[in-house]
Amino acid sequence: MKKWISGAIFCLLIPAVVLSGVYLFPARQYAFISLCVTVLSCLPVFIRFERKETGTKSLVLISAMTALSVLGRVLFTPIPGFKPVTAMVVITAMYFGAEAGFMTGSLSAVISNFYFGQGPWTPFQMFSWGLLGLIAGLISEPLKRNKLLLSLYAAFSGVLYSVIMDVWTVLWADGTFNITRYVAAIIAAAPFTVIYAVSNIIFLLLFSKPIGKILDRIKTKYGL
Amino acid sequence: MKAFGNIHPSVLMMYFLSVMLVSMFASNPIIQAEALFGGALFCLCIQKRGTALRDAGFYISLFLMVAVTNPLFSHNGKTPLFFLNGNPVTLEALLCGVSIAVMVIGVLLWCKCYSEIMTSDKFLYLFGRIIPKLSLVLSMALRFIPAYIRQSRRVSRAQKAMGLYSGKSISDRVRNRMRVLTAMISWSLENAMDVSASMKARGYGQKKRTDFSIFRFQRSDCALFAVCIVLLSVPLVGMAAGVTDFTYYPGISRIETSPAAVAVYAAFGALSVLPSVLEAKEAIIWKYYVSKI
Repeated sequence: MKKWISGAIFCLLIPAVVLSGVYLFPARQYAFISLCVTVLSCLPVFIRFERKETGTKSLVLISAMTALSVLGRVLFTPIPGFKPVTAMVVITAMYFGAEAGFMTGSLSAVISNFYFGQGPWTPFQMFSWGLLGLIAGLISEPLKRNKLLLSLYAAFSGVLYSVIMDVWTVLWADGTFNITRYVAAIIAAAPFTVIYAVSNIIFLLLFSKPIGKILDRIKTKYGL
Repeated sequence: MKAFGNIHPSVLMMYFLSVMLVSMFASNPIIQAEALFGGALFCLCIQKRGTALRDAGFYISLFLMVAVTNPLFSHNGKTPLFFLNGNPVTLEALLCGVSIAVMVIGVLLWCKCYSEIMTSDKFLYLFGRIIPKLSLVLSMALRFIPAYIRQSRRVSRAQKAMGLYSGKSISDRVRNRMRVLTAMISWSLENAMDVSASMKARGYGQKKRTDFSIFRFQRSDCALFAVCIVLLSVPLVGMAAGVTDFTYYPGISRIETSPAAVAVYAAFGALSVLPSVLEAKEAIIWKYYVSKI
């Protein structure tokens, strides 16, 4: 019953947001609606996490992995675009499941922006990193076994992150989804996309084995 | 001086959300200008003097970038200024770019003020009760970061002392950071397990968590809350009724000057300079008391 109610609320909330955007802010409705919908689409996972019985161990583990990926972002500040955040999120998802991956990704965005500056881009980063973690968690077994698949996913996640953030740029700069500007933004961001993809591949190929070993060891040592 | 920062977090959150909501999504140039002005003024109030000049340089270049590139991508509008590669560069698109730039910079300035005022402790205080587990995870992660930074400095110093990858080249820098990060991962996960054992030993999850906070909802907070609600509702109602609608395409519309529209401008103007006024008031009172000593 509860599930039905929360499902119904979500089914009603998104159209409500769309309508209020259309009536309140006609000129910038796309920016408003996209912002609200990204926030709303993160909520179900958060609510599930809040409701579920979660042991202290996994709570602390998620916060430690989040802190580590933020630390990675801080450590690599001097090299623009070359960040291990996505790699950490994917590794967390591979070893602790899709939900932990989503939580680590989206919380890393919130927390690292306490350092790098919060803004209207925060929900988009939460959404894209969370989504990357979620997908990695769903295909964790093949990712662990197959190096080629892992590097493909790494490249894909760099591109996906860039493409989602470009949607944000265009909606914010234009108010509407201007396809020429979107293409221009993708082209302008192409060097960064390449850096994202390459850095993800490097980090995942280098890290997934040693970190996976550490995580497996922790899992057996502490019985997770 | 942070008179505004001492206000109760719930009022602060309400205030920032409402100002950002209106300034992000309003298309009327007067409202955008008011948001930019209020944000800039408040930024100047709470910031150190030295950083303002450097920031101004960044914002001006951002302004030019957004404003100038818009006509290159958008060919709507009915007054072409000149043609570039066979595409019209229109007055409307140029002005629309200026308005977008004003909006973006206004929102960035408000976000900056938000980060300065809504520190993470206030954020956690507000959301600790609604989302206890998430906010516990957030606060633990926030506490881990400085500890990890300290530890990673130690690791890095130790590695440098051993002469590992201490060169200046990019590959050395990357490899050095990677070694530090792997060392940090095993250290931090072992540490996390200790934390969780300690939490369990102290009875986490047995009963509801107690918490401590120094925020009290005072009468002045209540008054400010009411003022904010009134000042916010005027622009919201006005925007919903379409009093301040403004469009750039196909032609630039006239700036609305009906009494209702003026009321919206006045209310939002008051809302956006409110924190700066509070800061100024506090500064004057302070000066007055100092002069009496």
